[in-house]
Order: sequence, then C-alpha cells, then structure tokens
Amino acid sequence: MDKIAITGIGIVSPSGINKRQFWANIKAGRSFIKEITRFDASKYPSHIAGQIDELNKYSNFSERLLKKIDAFSHMALIASELALQDAGIDIKNEDPNLVGIFLGNAIGGWLYAETELRDLYIEGREGVSPYMASAWFPAAPQGQVSIYYGIKGFSKTIVADRASSLMALGYGRKVLNKNKLNMILAGGMEAPVTPYALLCCSTYGALSKNNAKPQEAYRPFDKKRDGCVIGEGAGIVVMESIARANKRGVRPLAYISGYAASCDGVDRINCGADGKELARAIKLALSDAQTNIDEIDYISLDGLALNLWDDAELNALKSVFSQRVKDIPISCPKSMFGNLLGASGAVDMITTILAMEHSLVPVTLNLDEPSIKDFNYVTKEAKEYKINKALVISRGRGGINSVLVVESNTPR
Amino acid sequence: MDIKIKVKEILSNLLKVKIDELKDNSSLEASIGVDSTEMVESVIALEKAFGVKLSPKEITKSSSIEDIEKVIHSKIG
Repeated sequence: MDKIAITGIGIVSPSGINKRQFWANIKAGRSFIKEITRFDASKYPSHIAGQIDELNKYSNFSERLLKKIDAFSHMALIASELALQDAGIDIKNEDPNLVGIFLGNAIGGWLYAETELRDLYIEGREGVSPYMASAWFPAAPQGQVSIYYGIKGFSKTIVADRASSLMALGYGRKVLNKNKLNMILAGGMEAPVTPYALLCCSTYGALSKNNAKPQEAYRPFDKKRDGCVIGEGAGIVVMESIARANKRGVRPLAYISGYAASCDGVDRINCGADGKELARAIKLALSDAQTNIDEIDYISLDGLALNLWDDAELNALKSVFSQRVKDIPISCPKSMFGNLLGASGAVDMITTILAMEHSLVPVTLNLDEPSIKDFNYVTKEAKEYKINKALVISRGRGGINSVLVVESNTPR
Repeated sequence: MDIKIKVKEILSNLLKVKIDELKDNSSLEASIGVDSTEMVESVIALEKAFGVKLSPKEITKSSSIEDIEKVIHSKIG
C-alpha cells in the first residue's frame, strides 16, 4: 500500500487549540489536568479532567448551528476548519463527491443527551429537543462536518473505544489508496467531561482518584500510577495522495506508511497481560510500512496508567524490539492533557508529527519511577531526537490494538 | 394580540435568526433555509405559545409567516 501524505493538522485540546499553541505547551511539559468546573463532580471518585473552557472563542460557527449539536461535533468542526486552513485547502474548489470523512469516537455526545434525557423524564416527550436525534450519536460529527462543507464522498465513523481515531486514520489511508477519493478529513473527537460519561468512565475502573493533586494524577508507566484522567478535544488531519500534494505544490507535514490492528480476545474489559497480540499488530504495521525495527526512532505510547495495560504494552515492545527498547525514546504526552479516549490516537499522531517537525520528543509527565526499567523513557523535559519514523500505539477496552507508522517529511 | 409579530419573535428566538430575515410572504425554506428538525421544534414552540394543536401538515417548510398567522388565527378565533 502507498504512503499517504498528511498536509494539514487541526487540533482542539486542553493543551491548546491550533497546533502552534498546542506544541508550545507540549514542548514545555505543562499539565492541563484540573478539577472539573463544568458541573459539580465533587462526589465522583475521580473529579479531575483535561477540560476545554474557551471553545466558543475559537469558533466562527453560528448560534443557530451550535444549538443543534453536541460539544464533540463542535470540536470536530473547529478541528476540521483548522486542518483545512493548515493544508491551504478551500473546500469550495474540491469535487464534493471525492472528499471523504473518517472519524473515530468512543462514547457519543453526552453533554447534549443528558440534558434532553432529564427533560424527557421531567417534562415528557415534548420536552425533548428534536435535535437530540441527530446530536448524540457517535457519527454525528461526521454528519455535521459533511453538511457544513457540503462533503459528499464515501465516509465512515469508527467506534472502537480508545482506538477509534487511530483506526479511522488507518481506514482513511486504505480508502485513499483505492484512488476513489481525492482527499480525506480524518481523526477523531471526544467530549467525555459530562456527569454521565464521567460516571461510566469511573465505573469502568480506569480513572485516577488522585483528586488532591490533579497535575500529578495521570502517571503512565510509573510505580504510583492508579489510572488515567479523561480529557476532551479533537484531532483531525487532511490526508491526500503524495501525487496530489505535489501537484498542489504543498510539502506534506508527514506520511502515514503503515497500519495494522489486532484483538487480544481474552476478556470483555481487560487486555491480555502478555502483550502478544499488540506485538503482532506492531509487526504487521512495520511490515505494511516496509520498515524494520532499527528504523523506528520514537514510539508514542497508549499509556492507560493501569498496571496490566502499561505492563502489557511494554511486554509487546520488548518482544518486537528486543534490546533496542533501551535506545528508542518512548513517551506518552497525553499525560499532560488527559486521555481523549476515542480521539486519543489521532491526537497522539499529531503530537508525533509535531515532534518530528521540531526534532523533540515530548515527555511522559509524572513518570518519576518506572515500574519496568530498561526502556528509554523521556521524562522531566523534552529531549532532542531526530525522528524519521515513529510508531503510534492506541488501544481499547477488551484488548483492541491499533498501530500506525508515521514518517517524517525529511527522510534520512 | 398581533399574531404575526408574536410568531416572528418566537421563530427568531428559537431558530437564532434575525426577525427581518423572516419574510411575510416567502416560505420559511426560501427565507431562512429551515430544515425539517427546525420545523418540528417550531411547531412545538408555536403550540405552547398559542395554546393550540398544530399538525405538521398545517405548518410546513413551505409556509410563510402569513400562512402560519392564518392557521393560528383560525384556531384561536
């Protein structure tokens, strides 16, 4: 399969909206995990998150539209607009039948849905907004982006828990390779900082309860880890063929050269402890990218910050990369702004592309004492590394494994 | 009570459009590009405001403000 060019990046995250602001905060290793202020979350076991407070400040969308959509669609619209601007694409000049949208989401639009469900039980069916029908479900952002830009090409929403958006990128690359679309907006969005979504994430058992010290709570691969912290946002990129990018006179920001997925198939919630299936997905992705283990310069980790998941991830790396794990820099930058669940993989890929551009590996925050030694963890401060090829790992409940190979625009 | 003014105020607040965009003689579809979900919301809001029952066939995307005024006027007498 051919490499696909990434020519535009749109990021909406607690660490910043737009790639410049986002990278400045990531580079500096700043934490954006705070106590939740959107609603009274004080009685929840975990009441901290990466929350975006100023979404409207970055939005040019009409009040008429915003009243019909959930925050996750709003985030997807902003990220799409930023990605198109970054790619220098005016969608009006595109053939709408040859533009596609591939987005990943795990939980849907609960901020909207919760309010309407409350109204249903208090006021009856007439109290529910008719927009509820099109606002809450995981494919709603895909629909809203397509309506806003008049996009009419083959599109899809992927729901695969936290692996959703990385899968959407992999799927988008596959479709683009069939030459049936000219370009794709791909990535994911998630807005889980709502009472019901937070409750579901809590009962799943993956959230840190270190409410007293929010900025220290998310500590993947550290001995004192006790789960992740949720965050909200969207990461969307413009994907197109290298030939088309060249024709437009645009230098790609990076390339997607390999992708693979696998399933552990051992438990409804947990992953396999041995990391065997993740290792298989990594090998398949490397093979797809025609890349050997010596060529990988950086690995962006899933890092759920639970003993089983983190250890399994490192087991997989050890089994694939053997002694090279001592050399390859690895990190989990989402420890700075929270786990964006279904959007996390796309945001991780964007972080990786920015790391390539700046030759700087961002940190895993709070990794003071690794539970497993002998890996080249980047902690405390970002480190200079020339990155030509990188792996991005994104995993979901029940042991969904997805792995992407990203290549820089300046090959060695 | 001026039904027409009240209808315009309700639809303007509800659909987040300017009052002068709501034309007396043009259909809601032509004047503000109303969609089917907005029509559902509008009918419910008008029913509540005027205390009448309106069927989706009586008020549609093709209705103008004057058409809506006539329907409501016939119901409240």
